[in-house]
Amino acid sequence: MQLEEIKKRTNPLNRYNLAVLLMMFVLATWSWKSTEMSVGVLAKGWLNMIVYLTGNPEIENSGFFPPASSSTGIVKYVKLMVETVQMAFLALILSVAISFPLAFFASRNTLEIIFPGQRLFDRVIRKVSYITTRFVANLARSINELVWSLMFVSAVGLGPMPGILALGVHTGGVLIKLFSEGIENIQSEPVTALTATGAGPLKVIRYAVIPQISPFFVSMLLYRFESDVRSATILGFTGAGGIGVYLYDKLRSYENRDVTTMLIIIIITVAIVDRMSAWIRKKYT
Amino acid sequence: MKTIKAVKVKLGYGNKVVLTDIDLEVSGGEFISIIGPSGVGKTTLLMAINGNVKIFDGEMSVLNHNLRTIGNTDLKSIRARIGVIFQGYHLVKRLNVLDNVAGGMLRKMNSLQAAIKYYRHDQYELIYGYMRAVRLENEALQRCDRLSGGQMQRVAIARALAQEPEIILADEPISSLDPISATGVMDTLARINKEYGLTVIANLHQLEYARRYSRRIIGMNKGRIIYDGKPEALDDATVARIYQGERAGEVEPSLEFPLPAAARVAVYNA
Ligand SMILES: Nc1ncnc2c1ncn2[C@@H]1O[C@H](COP(=O)(O)OP(=O)(O)OP(=O)(O)O)[C@@H](O)[C@H]1O
Ligand SMILES: [Mg+2]
Repeated sequence: MQLEEIKKRTNPLNRYNLAVLLMMFVLATWSWKSTEMSVGVLAKGWLNMIVYLTGNPEIENSGFFPPASSSTGIVKYVKLMVETVQMAFLALILSVAISFPLAFFASRNTLEIIFPGQRLFDRVIRKVSYITTRFVANLARSINELVWSLMFVSAVGLGPMPGILALGVHTGGVLIKLFSEGIENIQSEPVTALTATGAGPLKVIRYAVIPQISPFFVSMLLYRFESDVRSATILGFTGAGGIGVYLYDKLRSYENRDVTTMLIIIIITVAIVDRMSAWIRKKYT
Repeated sequence: MKTIKAVKVKLGYGNKVVLTDIDLEVSGGEFISIIGPSGVGKTTLLMAINGNVKIFDGEMSVLNHNLRTIGNTDLKSIRARIGVIFQGYHLVKRLNVLDNVAGGMLRKMNSLQAAIKYYRHDQYELIYGYMRAVRLENEALQRCDRLSGGQMQRVAIARALAQEPEIILADEPISSLDPISATGVMDTLARINKEYGLTVIANLHQLEYARRYSRRIIGMNKGRIIYDGKPEALDDATVARIYQGERAGEVEPSLEFPLPAAARVAVYNA
């Protein structure tokens, strides 16, 4: 290859990059226009936010500060926060129980292990498994956990249980997608080697696939747990248990100082969870 | 009864034919080397024996099973009787030496055991024995991504041994090793060939090793077998014809030319 050719091909200001840049600009302008974004409105209105935080003059005691500090309140909110984390934890177990086995049916390479062969029948069964699992995963994933929560509340009534089911199902769908992408990116050589020993699909997956993806699995699990704890704090808005029930209640009755207390408890908990998962992640990988 | 028998087979991948007119008969206990230029299809020939390559035409049977009609269960059972040492080892890098060697005996474990990687005492003893056979018992708990190339090569051999196979297919088992480790690995293969009566078929790039260790050499060129006989009968002219492939035709022999020294000389002389 000539130097001129190499220079031309490695120039960052090439037509492709410029086109992408232009496209981003057009998309952003279009979106800005149709969503009626406006710097002016924010510039004029941001003071109202301060008024909201310090309290509506027409409603007595409606400010967010200072946080409510009665010990009975704090104890109650901490207990609710613990319940919220418990919800997220059970949801995590549920979502893993759903997604871990299914992810292998949503990945082309593991389907080749589970249903080997090149006959038409083998290929059809692989395709069908792939499409069905991905479809189920997409369904579970694209319906928001709040919507799932409303549905489960109507099925099993108020309380933490519908929240756990909602989070579990939604996260199950997310994890199938994440896991299967991880599985499809593994190296195929160990699989070839263990298949060549005549071992069956379960053993090949156990010895050649799982060791390769386990750090990624753990990492995704922890990431989902963190975000499930955050989601669980607002699931209560639908009546599905956790601290969200009270958060919603107090917001509606303008008892905003209690809201601040709850928010502080949430922030501290989320920080602790993030810390712990960072530690586990480091330990594991 | 022949261990491997191929009559006029055509082998390849998808709709691409790599090898044509392959006639091959192997009996139990042989030590065979396959030589030939890069890309000629040595790996393809080995993998065909393990039922991993498409057969377009001809007949091929391995361990008394016709590969063209074999079903899934039978294929698994003949694979169990053939140990493969892959070019580039194909180890599970995140597992330690012990678990990688155990990978060779998966068929003998029940699923539950395999799921939690629980080995019985006799299984530990077997694995330990194979690790000792390749002198890796001290690295037993070391993860394979922390091993040297030669050590990984030996893990791959131990895994193949753990399978207790009747045939070992070794794809360039010494390609990335220094002369001393290479001799060590070849000695190991020669020993298991003699002691256990295993059939060993090895692809080699180093002609000297092929001559030294095997009693039969198969030379390939342009997708065909052009030599099949004793090492002593393999003369320089034939070596030149073997290595004078598509590539040797295009590329002028030079100092970087990736040929064994003997073949290089032969190409110059031809
Ligand atoms: N999985 C595959 N799919 C399609 N073509 C393949 C595949 N594996 C190998 N080939 C092709 O088959 C031909 C022979 O490859 P093979 O690996 O058997 O050569 P080789 O003699 O082992 O070479 P080397 O000495 O470099 O290992 C090559 O042209 C290669 O591109
Ligand atoms: Mg090869």
